[in-house]
Amino acid sequence: MIKISCQEQLLPGATLQDKWDFAQQAGYDAIEVRGRGDFALRDRLPELRRAARDGVPMPSVCVEMLHFLGAFDADLRRDAIAQMKSQLSVIAEIGGPGAVACTPASYGMFSRRLPPFEPPRSEQDDRAVLVEGLTELGEHAAREGVVLALEPLNRYEDHMVNRLEQAVELITAVGLPSVKALADTYHMNIEEDEPTSAIVMAATHLGHVQVSDSNRFQPGAGHLDWAALLGTLDAIGYDGHLAVECRLRGEPARAVAAIPGFLRRHAVGVAV
Amino acid sequence: MTIAPTIEADTAHAVSEHRSLDRAARRVLVTNWRVRATVPATKLYPHQWSWDSAFIAIGLRHLSPTRAQQELESLFGAQWRDGRVPHIVFDPDVARDAYFPGPGFWRSGSSNAAAVPTSGIVQPPAHALATWATYRADPAVAHVRGFLPRMYPRLVQWHHYLLTRRDLGGAGLASIVHPWESGMDNSPAWDAPLSRIDPVSPVSFTRRDLAHAPAAERPTDLDYGRYIRLASDYRDAGYADKPSVHAFAIEDPLYNALLIAGEHALANIAAAIGRDPAPHRATADRLTATLVSRLYDPAAEMFFPRDVHTGELVRSWSITGLMPMIVPELPVARELVDTALGSRFRLREACPLPSYDLTAPDHAPGQYWRGPGWVNTSWLFWHGLRLHGETALADDLRERLLHRVLNTGFREYLDPLTGAGHGSDGFSWTAALALDLIRTA
Repeated sequence: MIKISCQEQLLPGATLQDKWDFAQQAGYDAIEVRGRGDFALRDRLPELRRAARDGVPMPSVCVEMLHFLGAFDADLRRDAIAQMKSQLSVIAEIGGPGAVACTPASYGMFSRRLPPFEPPRSEQDDRAVLVEGLTELGEHAAREGVVLALEPLNRYEDHMVNRLEQAVELITAVGLPSVKALADTYHMNIEEDEPTSAIVMAATHLGHVQVSDSNRFQPGAGHLDWAALLGTLDAIGYDGHLAVECRLRGEPARAVAAIPGFLRRHAVGVAV
Repeated sequence: MTIAPTIEADTAHAVSEHRSLDRAARRVLVTNWRVRATVPATKLYPHQWSWDSAFIAIGLRHLSPTRAQQELESLFGAQWRDGRVPHIVFDPDVARDAYFPGPGFWRSGSSNAAAVPTSGIVQPPAHALATWATYRADPAVAHVRGFLPRMYPRLVQWHHYLLTRRDLGGAGLASIVHPWESGMDNSPAWDAPLSRIDPVSPVSFTRRDLAHAPAAERPTDLDYGRYIRLASDYRDAGYADKPSVHAFAIEDPLYNALLIAGEHALANIAAAIGRDPAPHRATADRLTATLVSRLYDPAAEMFFPRDVHTGELVRSWSITGLMPMIVPELPVARELVDTALGSRFRLREACPLPSYDLTAPDHAPGQYWRGPGWVNTSWLFWHGLRLHGETALADDLRERLLHRVLNTGFREYLDPLTGAGHGSDGFSWTAALALDLIRTA
């Protein structure tokens, strides 16, 4: 049986408890919280603790910042790592053991597909920066008993990690079981030769999955082969959540409520 | 919006009971998927094979109905202008010498509209059956993709090729012109007709199969030399189909049974897209009568292949003779069940069904098509048992097949009595058909 979580900003309701009521009604199993910069997630701890006490499952956090561990600027890198450490600690407290914090290498910093095409840092230096940052965060994640998930983004959003095999290569170099790969169906549709083959290749390193369709709208709005994707995730033994991270087409509350039903109806390849 | 099939309560129970096998089967299918088609096995068979794809689609439909449709569409995308569906469609991204005989041997040129390199021989026509099964897994998504309207004329052309150009015996049945066309390459049934063929010297070619499987389980160099002779003669004749070109010409029971079952499937497909199903039913009825009158031996209660050149039945007790069980309304289904239950095939114990007579002195339980069992022929027999109301035997066979695969893994073929696995591992149709057996409870 697949487990589905929904990012908090997609759910109607003033509080996490309200959002969870809605989410449960719609068939979700959990909420993925979003972690802004300036330690905003840590500052939300009283709110998050109340929600956790009230039974709201929050097994993952998706970072919402503009600089990341692969930033060109050393100060921004330091800050990104400090922010992620804090998010790992917060999600350990409210999500429990095995909870997940997600990060890309960078976002919106550079694209080899857009002018000026050549980044200011060499590939070798990119890799050194990423291995160093992932190692520091992975060690922190291990101490907290949680997982850092590295998310490949498409070529227009990041120039360093676009495919799962690149994430797996870095993760293998880091060599910590607390660092895993995040498979996002939207980015995979752009970057992978065959998303299901990439999932099979990355199977032992897969720590988190985010779902949206080929056009970034909710699952069902585009042309992804959901039966194949879900059947493959189940076949490799992935037992984490599918976190819905998408834009919504149509009336938002109705659109977000329809997603669990759509995914479960198309999970024909999943063992019941 | 497409509507996926819902899983019935019985199926849900079966899937739950075989959950780990179900998962493992899907792992094989996703591992062997190559963007638009599935390879039979990653090392020994790195391209697309014709009848493998048909059996693979039958399982793949449970993983992804879209993918099962693509499996068949990609195969028929390499269909020749004369209607034949080649037995191998070569993957241009795989080294040309990864498989022998490869594209350089067959020289298919522009025989198909896409000029995709293929072999020039064919394999058993399981495709109409697979197309109908695939359609039924998700009619809505098939409708959106135009699956049946696109496949139907191609399937009709394929059957037309077999029923006209390959009617070498003149009685209406299709002939195979190479042991590889039977799908049961090294069957003892082909020994006598093959012995007439002058082999090519083994120094003139380099086999690739021996790098991936023990030589003792594979055909001998002498047989291989004869295979190459037949294939090169056919190629050098421009793939013309005449008795004078084909030193080897056999009316095979399995081949024609699949053609008949395929005509029944084509009737269903025609009806589903608003075409006239009657001609297909008429063809099926005519072929069934011919199959029984020409290849069935009432005293033996068995079908035998007929050698077109000698006009004689080849009285070799191989699995092909039981395969007409898949023909709807076969008048001798009960007799075939009795034969299967007898000492030669031991339906109640042997599993998968042996490819060749268990009592024969030359039965070899580990040798390619000379004794071991394949899951596809057992699946076909299971399908036939259900078709003819033998539900208890069908259910029993299904359970034992799943048990075998669970214990041995997704091997290419198995010792029917001990269950020992042989040939490739991670074999696609073994996984696909196991998945189908689980899901079609």
